[in-house]
This record gives sequence, C-alpha cells and structure tokens, in this order.
Amino acid sequence: MHPLLNHQANLTRRHLFGRTATGIGVAALASLLRRDAPAADRKRVGGLKDLPHFAAKAKRVIYLFQNGAPTHVDLFDYKPELTKQKGKQIPDSVVKGLRFSTMTGGQTVRPCLPEITKFAQHGQGGAWVSDFLPHTAKIADELCFVKSMFTTQVNHAPAICFFLTGSEMPGRPSMGSWLTYGLGSETEELPGFVVMTSRDKEASCGQIFYDFYWSSGFLPTKFQGVKFRGQGDPVLYLSNPDGVNQASRRASLDDLAKLNEMTLKEFGDPEVSTRISQYEMAYKMQTSVPELTDFSKEPQKILDSYGPDVKKQGSFAYNCLMARRLVERGTRFVQLLHAGWDQHRNLNTQLKVQCTDIDAPSAALVSDLKRLGLLDDTLVIWGGEFGRTPFLQGKIEDVKSWGRDHHPYAFTVWMAGGGIKKGTSYGQTDDFGFAPAKDAVHIHDFQATILHLLGLNHEKLSFRFQGRDFRLTDVHGKVVRGLLA
Amino acid sequence: MTRLLLALAVLLAFTEFGFSQEKVDFSRDVLPILSNHCFQCHGPDEKARKAELRLDTKEAALRKQGAVIVPGKSAESEIIRRIESADAKEQMPPKKANKNLKPEQIAILKKWVDAGAPWGTHWSFTAPVRPPVPVSRDPKGIAKNAIDAFILARLEKEKLSPSAGADKERLIRRVTLDLTGLPPTPDEVDAFLKDTTPTAYEKVVDRLLASPRFGERMAWDWLDAARYADSNGYQGDGERTMWPWRDWVVKAYNDNLPFDQFTVWQLAGDRLPTPTREQLLATAFNRNHMINGEGGRIAEENRIEYVFDQTETTATVWIGLTVGCARCHDHKFDPILQKDYYSLFAYFNQTPVNGGGGSGQTAPVMDFGTTAQEQKRKDAQAAFDELVKRIVPIEKKLRDDAAIKDKDGNYASTLPALIESALRKGPNDRADQNYDELIKHFKEKEPEYVKLLPEMRKAKQFRDAANTGVAKVMVMADLPTPRETFILTRGDYSKKEGKVTPNTPVSLPALPKGAPANRLALAQWIASKENPLTARVAVNRLWQMFFGIGLVKTSEDFGVQGERPSHPELLDWLAVEFAEKWDTKHLIRLIVTSATYRQSAKVTPELLDRDPENRLLARGTRHRMPSWMIRDQSLAASGLMTPTYGGPPVKTYQPPGIWEEATFGNKKYAQDKGEAIYRRSLYVFWRRIIGPTVFFDVANRQTCSVKTTTTNTPLHALVTLNDTTYVEAARALAQLATEKHASDADRLGFAFQRVVARKPTEAEAKILLGALEKQRKVFADKVAALKLLKVGDSPRNEKLDASEHAALASVCLMMLNLDEALNK
Repeated sequence: MHPLLNHQANLTRRHLFGRTATGIGVAALASLLRRDAPAADRKRVGGLKDLPHFAAKAKRVIYLFQNGAPTHVDLFDYKPELTKQKGKQIPDSVVKGLRFSTMTGGQTVRPCLPEITKFAQHGQGGAWVSDFLPHTAKIADELCFVKSMFTTQVNHAPAICFFLTGSEMPGRPSMGSWLTYGLGSETEELPGFVVMTSRDKEASCGQIFYDFYWSSGFLPTKFQGVKFRGQGDPVLYLSNPDGVNQASRRASLDDLAKLNEMTLKEFGDPEVSTRISQYEMAYKMQTSVPELTDFSKEPQKILDSYGPDVKKQGSFAYNCLMARRLVERGTRFVQLLHAGWDQHRNLNTQLKVQCTDIDAPSAALVSDLKRLGLLDDTLVIWGGEFGRTPFLQGKIEDVKSWGRDHHPYAFTVWMAGGGIKKGTSYGQTDDFGFAPAKDAVHIHDFQATILHLLGLNHEKLSFRFQGRDFRLTDVHGKVVRGLLA
Repeated sequence: MTRLLLALAVLLAFTEFGFSQEKVDFSRDVLPILSNHCFQCHGPDEKARKAELRLDTKEAALRKQGAVIVPGKSAESEIIRRIESADAKEQMPPKKANKNLKPEQIAILKKWVDAGAPWGTHWSFTAPVRPPVPVSRDPKGIAKNAIDAFILARLEKEKLSPSAGADKERLIRRVTLDLTGLPPTPDEVDAFLKDTTPTAYEKVVDRLLASPRFGERMAWDWLDAARYADSNGYQGDGERTMWPWRDWVVKAYNDNLPFDQFTVWQLAGDRLPTPTREQLLATAFNRNHMINGEGGRIAEENRIEYVFDQTETTATVWIGLTVGCARCHDHKFDPILQKDYYSLFAYFNQTPVNGGGGSGQTAPVMDFGTTAQEQKRKDAQAAFDELVKRIVPIEKKLRDDAAIKDKDGNYASTLPALIESALRKGPNDRADQNYDELIKHFKEKEPEYVKLLPEMRKAKQFRDAANTGVAKVMVMADLPTPRETFILTRGDYSKKEGKVTPNTPVSLPALPKGAPANRLALAQWIASKENPLTARVAVNRLWQMFFGIGLVKTSEDFGVQGERPSHPELLDWLAVEFAEKWDTKHLIRLIVTSATYRQSAKVTPELLDRDPENRLLARGTRHRMPSWMIRDQSLAASGLMTPTYGGPPVKTYQPPGIWEEATFGNKKYAQDKGEAIYRRSLYVFWRRIIGPTVFFDVANRQTCSVKTTTTNTPLHALVTLNDTTYVEAARALAQLATEKHASDADRLGFAFQRVVARKPTEAEAKILLGALEKQRKVFADKVAALKLLKVGDSPRNEKLDASEHAALASVCLMMLNLDEALNK
C-alpha cells in the first residue's frame, strides 16, 4: 500500500478508536453494521479514496464464467459458409499457419463443421442464438454479444488465468480483487468478492478450479475471493462448534470485547479496535449467511425460472440465484465458474446437456435482476476462456465422436446490464468464425471495459509491487466504446 | 482534517523519503524520481527507449551532445524545461503515462541540477561499509548495543523519545514466541520473574536460541521463501516427499550453520568437491518448485518454467532483486538486462531434468527409504508385474478382435472410443475411472477378464502407495556436458535468440577472475562479503521477522524502485557485522537483546499520528502472530502439542470435502489419528493447490514469498472461534485447569496465564468470572455440554462434571481469541 493510503487507513481506524475510547464501544459498532438498507443508499465499505475515477455505470459484477470454452460456432456465431463447406478442408488462407493444442496440432485434415443444431434470430436486435439455448434466446434483447473476442492462450488454465487476472501465469490479483481493493464493498457482513463453482452434470471435463483464479496476488489477502462451498457451510467454519448456541456465543463475544477494550486502553493500539469489529462482523456473518442461503421467501415462480436444480447446493442454478442474493446484499463481485464445455470428442452427445444445465439459470438471473431493478447497475458477463475450432476434431464419418478443439483466435461472450448497449452485437468474425474480421476485442480490452463500466480508469488502478506499478491490463487494453450504452 | 493531512504529508516526506533541508543526495533523492518517472522510456530497456535518451547512466544522462542536463544550471536544462512545460505536447512525463511529478519532486531535481548534477549509484549496489556507531543522547542509559545507538540517534533527530521497557511477562512472551514460535510455560515465566540479576533477560534469550524449537520457528519463513510444499501443484497435484529437506533446514538453523555455508550448500552443495549427504540434501531448495504433470504439455516448456522459477527464486531470496521482468525484456528500472537474466538462468539450466513425466520424485533424487519400505516397494512391484503379465495378453486380444480396417486401409476399432482408449492406456497408466469403464463394458462379455480388473487396480494402488511411501528428495546435479543457453524471446521456450554463457549481472561486482561457469561459483559469489546485497537482504528479513517491517520495507525488492531503508546506516552496520562470521544466532541475539526490541508497545495518540507504522521505533512492536503460530500457541497452551521433531507431514483437522471439492474427488483427505494431529504447524501437510484451511494470511507456497501480509477479516475470526483445533484446545485447557485447581478464580487464572503468560488483573479476573457464570447457565444443558466436549479426537476426563467442564472450555475458547493472545 502507498504510505499515504496507509496513513489514511490508520486515520480511519483512529476515529473508531476515538469513539471506543470515549465509551461508545461495542454498541456503536452494532450501528455501524448496517443490515437492511436498500441497495441504492448502502454505504461503501473500504476501497480507495478518490475512486471511482468517474461516474460508474455498474456498481457490481456477476461473472458467469464457463470453464472449458463454449463453442461459439454452435451457439452464437452463425456461419452459413460452414454449411456450404461442410467436410471440406478449411482454407489455409483462413488458418494462416496458426497453432493449435497438442490434441489437433498434428491433425492435418481440418474439415469444416457447421453448427450441429439450428440457429434462429431472436428479439428486436435479431441476434442469432442456437436452439440449444431457448431461454437465452428469449432475453436476447437484454444482451450484447461480443463476437470478436480473441486471446493468446490455448490451454485452459493459462487462458482462464489470463482472463481473470490479466496474466497467464498465476500470481496476479484477479478482477474481483482489483475491484474490491479499489471500490471496497457494500456489505460488511458478507464478503465483497465471492466465488462459487459448479460443473456439468456428466462431469465430462477434467478442469479443476485453481485458487489462483480468485487470488489477491500481491494485494493484501483480504481482497482474495471467498469461495463459497458446494457442500455444508458455504463459508468455512461458519457454524458454531457443536453444543455452542448463539446465546453462548453472544455472551462470549461480549466478554471478549470487554477484555479487548482493556487492552485497547492499555496499549492505545488502534488494531485492537479493528479486532473488536472483526469479531463483531464474524458474528454478523454467522447470521447473514444462513439468511442469504435461505430461499424460502423466494416466490415459487422465481425459483422455477432458475430451473429444477435451483435448490441443489453446488449446482449452477443454485449459484446463479445465490449470485443475485449476494449482489442484492451488497457484494461487489460474484464470480461463478462452471466447468464443462470441453467437447473434443462428444459434441453431439454433450453440448445439448450442458446447454440445458446453464441456459435457464443464466437467463433467469438476468430477468430476475431486471425484475428487482438491479440490472441497470449490475453487470452480468457470460463466457469462457476461448472458443472452439470451426473445423472438426476427429473423423467426419464418426459422427458420435465429433468434437472441436480449443480455439483462441475467436469466440463470443455476452454481457448484460449496467452500461451495456443491449439488444446488439459487437464485432464480427470472418465467414468461418475463425478470426475477428471487424472490431477485434483482446482480453485486456475486455478487462479495461469492465473497469470502465465500474468507473475506473484501467491505466490508473495500479499497485506497486516489486518495484513496478501493476495493473489488471498490464501495459495494454483499450476501452471498447462500441459496446457501451 | 486537511491541515492534518498536509502535516502528515510533510512528515511523510521526512520520514519515508528522508528529504529535508539537507543537501540533495543522488541515490536517496534523485534516482528514485528518475527511476519511477523516467526510466520506463528512458531507462535500461533499449527496446522501450524513446527519443534516444537514456537517463539511467551518467554518461548518457550528462551527455554533452544534445545535452538535456546542464550541471549547475537548471534554468538551461532541457529536462527541467520539459518537466515544467505546460504544453501537453512537450510535458514530461507525458500525461498518459500517469507518472506526473509533484512540485516537491521537481524542486529536488532542480536543486540537484543546480548543485552540479552529482551522479552516484543506487545505494544497494555498492558494498556496505561499517559506519561509525553514532553517539546519541541517552540520559537514562537504556542503550544495550549498537542497534540502540542508531535508533536513538534518529529519534533524537525526530525529537522523539524511546518508550520504557516492556514489563517482564510481556517481554518473555514476545521473545519466546519470536524465537521458538511457542508461548513460554508458566514455570519459565516464574523463573524469569524471580531472576533479578542484570542478565536475567539475556539468559532467557540464550536458552531460547539453544532450544531445538528455534530451528522450527526459523524454518517457517525459509520454507515460504523456498516455496516448499508436499505436492506438485497444477492438475493432478501429485504428492512429493521433500520433507527430509525441511528437517535439514530446521537442523541447519539449530546448528547455526553459518549463512554463507547455508547459502552455498543449498544453491550448489552438489558441486562441492566431495559433497556430504547433508550438502547434497540441501540442494533440494532448488527443486521445491511446482511441477506440471498435465497431459498435452510440452516437456521442454515445463523444463524452462522450472529453470525460470529457480533463477527468480534465487534472485529474490538472496539478492533481493526482481529479475523476472528481464525474462521478456531488459528491466525497465533496474540495471538488469535480458541478457543478464539468461546468463543467470544458464547456471540452473544444466540439470538432467527434462520437464516430462510430472513425478514429484523426478531424478536426480536422494533416497530416504528404510529397509522395510524398500522391501515393501519391491514386493508391491512384483505383485503388480505378475498381474500385468496375466492381463496384458487378454487386453491385446480384446483390441485385436475389435480391429477392422476402414476404407482407407487404416486400423479402426469397433469398440467405443472410451473403451478403446482405456485399453490402449494399459494397466499402468489407466485411471480409476478407466477401470470402472472397462468393468462396466465387459461385465457380460468377458467375466474372467472383469474379475482380474479390480485386482489389477488394487495392486496398482498398493504399488503407488509403496512407492510414494519411500521418501525421495529431488536434488540438484549438472549434466556432464553443459547445455547451451539462449535468450528466449519474450520468455518463449521455442524462440531462441542469442547464445549466452553463465554469468552474474553486469551491474553487480564481477565474479572473481577465472571462476568456473557453474552453480558453485554463483553460490560463492552470492555468499561473499563483497556482494553488496546478500548480507543486507538477509539481515533485513531477520529484522522484518522481529519488528514486522524490514528496515527496507520492500524486503522483496532492493532495486531502484524498492523503498529506501528507514535507517540506512543501521542496515549497513548490521550487514557488515553479519557478514563477519555469517552468524545468524549472533545477529538475532543482537536484535532481541537491544533496548529497541525490549520497549513497551504502548502508544500515545500523538506518537501514533507521528509514526503510525512505527518505522522510527519509539515504541515496541505489537502485531498479530502468523496463523501457524496461533495454532501452535493453542496446542502448547492446552498441553495437547505433540513435541516430536521432523518426519513425514501430517494431516490434521480439516472440514470434510475440501480436497475432494477442489480436485473433483481425485484427492481424498484422510485425516491422521492420535498424536499426529497435534504436531506443530510446520509439519502439517501442504497441498499446493489447496493449502491447509486452518491457516490464513499465509504464503501460497506456489512461488517464492519473502513477505506475507497480515489482514483482519471476519473469516479469520471464524477459524479461531470454530475450528476443531481451537475448540479442542480450549476444552483440553479447561480440563487441565480443572484437574489442577479447585476454585473458579484459580482455574481461570491458570488458563489465562497459559495463554498470555501473565496473571489476569483484578478487573480482568472479574470479567472472566462473570463470563464463566454466563456459560454455566448455557451449559447447564448437559446435552449441549457433552456435544461441546466431543469436539476433537482426544478423550475427555469423564470424571469431570460435563457442564462445569464445558462452561470453562467456552471461556478458554474466548481466551484463545483475545487480542492479546493473537498478538505478540
């Protein structure tokens, strides 16, 4: 931290210290911890002074990350040319000698493979969406499809790391860490940056969720994403020990605070008051989290809209509803990671299953946010780490084993909500869906744009580490103005 | 508020950057500005250089032709004109660089130019010379050694006074935790209180330095730096057995192995003339990096990654330089060229490791197996081979029978792709899942074969377990013929540029003439008194260990962009003192016996405003212990701790499903039983992709870390309030107190003292008694009481009344969470 910022942090603590020293103490702390304020006038907690740099269009982010890389040419990027050329070698003039993963790197036969299902246009904007995604198709007018994404990474883990941290090597802070570091959060009782994971039902993809996807890197560890678990307590160690009820715990914490107040008085160390509030917040979290995960007050119609798995902890549907409930309560950044999509050999059997898993929940989340008036200042992002090859991996006659390999050179991501030009598409690929033909968007551009929507100048949000001012966008990135509302 | 901030800003300018009315010092005042604001485009990186201007060398910056700096005349200097220009096209640094200069920085540059633009080198690149110990005002005669003289001199300059000494109980607790990572026992506290001789404290320090617990405490930070872990990281995250090296580190600290040898052994023990087993083992330091066993990865790409890691870890750990930037391009700030990077890299680029395979026991290795383990391994392998012999012909037949020729004449299988692939892998490379697939597929058709499959799988598991049960430590060795090293374009393993030979960075002192081009020469160059960085970096980290912040706050970066030392003379004095004999215990003794260290941590609001981070050390330090130490303290205080040293890592309490969830069920956590659970944190199994959840604010053990941050989040409080480790410790502590004492007050006092090493004050005792009363009411409910007393594996003393025991346990849990308990 910059020394001056440290100063400021200490000053704030000293204010608190001043109060506790004059005897307001724990009682005052309780009032500092706001519970029921509506989203609009919730107070910000933490974050850097003078941030945001300018008025933000979005206040919070829900990132529905699709690990494994969804196939753009089957789902969003409709290419009639592929049908015309079906089974024929994709022209060298398109491939331009680019490299592929070791799985098709040696394959010289690269027959064009058109979409395996049907495309149709939807909504006022006429977006092409696959019939595997009927719910997404219905909300097409809320979405902006960015069709000209590209990356430089061809393997899953480095590509995901690149997307979420700006570097293919682990160790940099992830997007959620940067945002909570810069902007703080709007809740003290729940983490500002929450991560939830799920995987496709058939468990067809072996990708694991590395914790560096939500690491705080060199930022203080409190900005690390808190991973909600898919079983048991969503937050580790949330429950009291066996036999200890809330009354016992409350009494203990009151006595603990009294003893800590004495330490504070003796030493004058403002860290002691931080400690007192830390324990109070832990207590609050113990009640907030169960309230958060209690879906009993959700209307049945809403629950149904998220699909049949909504009550199954650890499912994508459950996580989507949790994401909405978290941002409602002030969490800044919710990152869902859903593993699947890696159809090297099972496009014809797996893709539909996986689409069904995620389609209703993703669409329901957007609609639900809209219903609650939250969509205007919540940014929702849906997409994977790269696309899939417009050509076939495998043999054309072996229909059952059709697949597509990793394709970093073009893919589609959709965005919705705060500050996004809805009902549109941005950028386009060539006739084969192989590479951007117009308005290419690099990962760093994409990141710069997300920061921009949150009122941050990606070139200014930096942190000095090992002598260098690091940014999410490294030394690159241009805000993609064309997709802003 | 604004005024206060302004005052603070001024104070900052003094304390942090050290400029005042004194004359401008190039290295201290000017170089940091040039580096941070100008070097990006006018620094060492030739490819990034703009306008053919470089400002990082004297010759270039003060060039006569097209001069930009006219010594003595700031008004005629182009650099000043451009800095002060209001014209956006001319202004430097350009606006879009976000590197604008503050008025006081411009003032420094002008003052420097007017003073004749005297040049110098970055402070840490010149070897330290022992400065004279200052004579400082010390009316109370508190100074104990040279450290205090330097600290007092600075305080005097800042018009501050040192604090009184800490009271004895707090002092012995602080030093015992600092030197052993464990709290003092009540007996040790009593003995110290009773000892009124003038050297009572020194006696304690000497006892602690001689304790074998000292090595365990010191090892933790070294393991963080060495990215030590018990698994490989990445997908699969296979186990490794590097723990004999961990035990060696403990021993090395306990033996007080001089730091130069500690260095040479670890970097190049294998290259010593006739290396001992211990010297060879030490080199495992370099092999602690992650290993990528993902299928589809290119072996050479992995290998290069490993060598990058070795190079960068060595640079950070020993010379405090971040060389990683130069992997892809010349460093933007420090004089480290890309060529320097690959020359350093060349030293490590010589091992026979080829990057393939992904085993955590990749040769060269040292065997630490016992005879019994060796026999078990042989037997398991034999049983495995026997089954393979029976199963392989069957599988060959299955595949042959299913083979057809397609219309192009190529071989194809009529078996489902999944089954064909599982068969093709063979019994050794087959995953559990493949076995399931085969069993399912052939159940009806090939019952005899299917009967063999579970047996085969079991034999494989048994063989694998027997293999990994034998500790093999990966160590260093060089190929007989050196491998050629090339500069790699942007660090890409496949893009070779110019060839380089092993060498040290050109801007640092050269190797001795005729030094061979091997790791031993590099190690000796690092571990020499002439190296300007090694001793400084090492003493700074020791300082950081005891004061929370190093004299150089950026302990990971001693380069131009790093922070300058708060007490440069003290740092140099300590560095020279250290390098005389490289005596780590001596240096630590100096630090912890100084009056500076012994001060009370009490702080006034005024002092807090003046020096919130306590950089000037007008008071003792007080900060939260690392989470591993908090755990150890609880184990020690409760009497649960297993006192044994060394050996394979243990799996202690962890909520169910953590590994399983992170690895999709591939890694199953099997918690240990009995004594193993209560071993010190140092011995807890560290899975690289998902570290032990009982710890927080810890290094990730994935890459080198020499500084961890301390934060306070509610999640940490939840750990120490609710994790089995702490709840069980509280229950054991309550049991101990109940067994030893009869009255509430005595029991509470006993427990309190075991946690914070002092008796409660009257006011505290009253609160504790009140707390116990409240918990009694709660745990009058016997069912609840018994539930609490069942937490953790250790049995409770069933003779004790459950309600009473649980109530006291609840209070003890609170004690373990006291701010005073969490801090040292």
